[in-house]
Amino acid sequence: GRQWQELPPGKRKKGERGSGFTSEQIEHLHRRFRQLSRDQLTIRKENFDSIPDLEFNPIRAKIVHAFFDKRNLRQESSGLADEINFEDFLTIMSYFRPIEMNMDEEQLDRFRKEKLKFLFHMYDSDHDGKITLQEYRNVVEELLSGNPHLEKESARSIADGAMMEAASICGPDQVYEGITFEDFLKMWQGIDIETKMHVRFLNMETIAHCY
Amino acid sequence: KTCALKEGGCISSWLVLVQMLWKLFGPGIIERDETPMEKEIAGLHRMEFQFSDIFYFCRKGFEAIVEDEVTQRFSSEELVSWNLLTRTNVNFHYISLRLTVVWVIGVIVRYCFLLPLRFTLAAIGITSMIVGTTLVGQLPNSSVKNYLSEVVHLTCSRILVRALSGTIHYHNRENKPQKGGICVANHTSPIDAIILTNDGCYAMVGQVHGGLMGVIQRATVKACPHVWFERSEIKDRHLVTKRLREHVANKSKLPILIFPEGTCINNTSVMMFKKGSFEIGGTIYPVAIKYDPQFGDAFWNSSKYNIVSYLLRIMTSWAIVCNVWYMPPMVRKEGEDAVQFANRVRSAIAHQGGLAELPWDGGLKRAKVKDSFKEEQQKNYSKMLVRNGSIGSLPTGTESD
Repeated sequence: GRQWQELPPGKRKKGERGSGFTSEQIEHLHRRFRQLSRDQLTIRKENFDSIPDLEFNPIRAKIVHAFFDKRNLRQESSGLADEINFEDFLTIMSYFRPIEMNMDEEQLDRFRKEKLKFLFHMYDSDHDGKITLQEYRNVVEELLSGNPHLEKESARSIADGAMMEAASICGPDQVYEGITFEDFLKMWQGIDIETKMHVRFLNMETIAHCY
Repeated sequence: KTCALKEGGCISSWLVLVQMLWKLFGPGIIERDETPMEKEIAGLHRMEFQFSDIFYFCRKGFEAIVEDEVTQRFSSEELVSWNLLTRTNVNFHYISLRLTVVWVIGVIVRYCFLLPLRFTLAAIGITSMIVGTTLVGQLPNSSVKNYLSEVVHLTCSRILVRALSGTIHYHNRENKPQKGGICVANHTSPIDAIILTNDGCYAMVGQVHGGLMGVIQRATVKACPHVWFERSEIKDRHLVTKRLREHVANKSKLPILIFPEGTCINNTSVMMFKKGSFEIGGTIYPVAIKYDPQFGDAFWNSSKYNIVSYLLRIMTSWAIVCNVWYMPPMVRKEGEDAVQFANRVRSAIAHQGGLAELPWDGGLKRAKVKDSFKEEQQKNYSKMLVRNGSIGSLPTGTESD
């Protein structure tokens, strides 16, 4: 494929507007993107194999999936993309943007909804808009997959227990039909998730500030 | 020889001045939340405890994707302020005309003045090494021969260090490796060996190469008992260990020099030591080497640059400044296996040199994570869930499907 070295300034501006990252953060992310893509224009699933820290993670597959999930990429269609470019990469990264001081109520609410939607998509693996008991069991099993001593039965009972609790908030039908996004939002009312779901960039004052 | 030293000195004071003008920024790019997994997950309400556990791993995953610890170590150390070498110009942008002019002057000085001077010195150094050791090698084995061999090795090492404009500070010289011992050091570049032989004589261990390196190896082994292995022999671990053991057992032989990381690391951390070096027995003399990246980046990224372009980069840097700490000898304790001993030595070296200790294999530069590491994390998480009684508290016989 074609290769590039520098991020064209036009793309950087666009990225700034869309994702809410600052210019410097975008530069860093771009460098990281190039590292992962080995200087190609797009990333595929295999490129995530080169991150040793990620191997640790029990839900690695789900995280990588999330990058290619068309719902997260804000595309109309559903399903999985084969490859993503830097703009898509920024779009996914923006789900983990920390809250800014100058956000108003409406923005904060939208922000929160987006993060929760991202999480919802992670659970809802068949893209039908509902988290069923089976899907939830899958997630718990993955989380516990590393431990050989824990049997499948235990994973199932943990999942079932959680669904029971969810039912107490959303209503008993949901356990059988699946939790919709509205129910999911209800579960998180009053609970502060914003600080749990963000990656905070260090304050970078570059040389440009020197006089 | 002294002019190279002086030039290093005046450049350093100028750079300190330049440094004062720049602002600082941190070594990494994201702030990591170091809350341990247990605290973070247990801190949430019980029900959310289930659904939100995914938060922790999700966030860790994203942090890893944005910046992972290991890959960071295999790219050159990021500098706090620019040292006017474009090769370290990853984070710095065009600032002003004045700076560009200064940079151009720097380029002229480095390429037209320093490079030819250094190249000549290096040529002289290598030639004298080959000629000197061949001559000494002709003599019959005797104490005179050993003495002369030491003199030749030391002198040529010193010439080569000057050829790189090396300014080396040795600390704790009283702990210098003795005969019959094994000297163990962290590895950043091929010139580590020259840095150490500048101050003492060692028996080098390594693979036989072709070309100029091979000529040097063949010449030096006549004067001094270095241990050079054929490529085929390297694969046979027992053979290697046996030969090294024989060498160490002979107390009159020079200490062996080994770099147990197995590959060049970028000098911000010490990676896992290969246990082979620690199975030989004998006394280990750890040495920590820390380069100052301000004057020149000594790290050799062998997957990115070959040796010739690497040497060219070194010779067109400002200087190679480093600190060498000799540490008190260590021996394997009763009941300690090779791996534990290796880790103990590694901690000592990392601590002394101010380097981070990473539980990673240097081989990760090219290979993947071992499965055993992966499972550790997952085991911890499931242990936590079970401990918190999530399973026990459910009514038995509940079926929900």
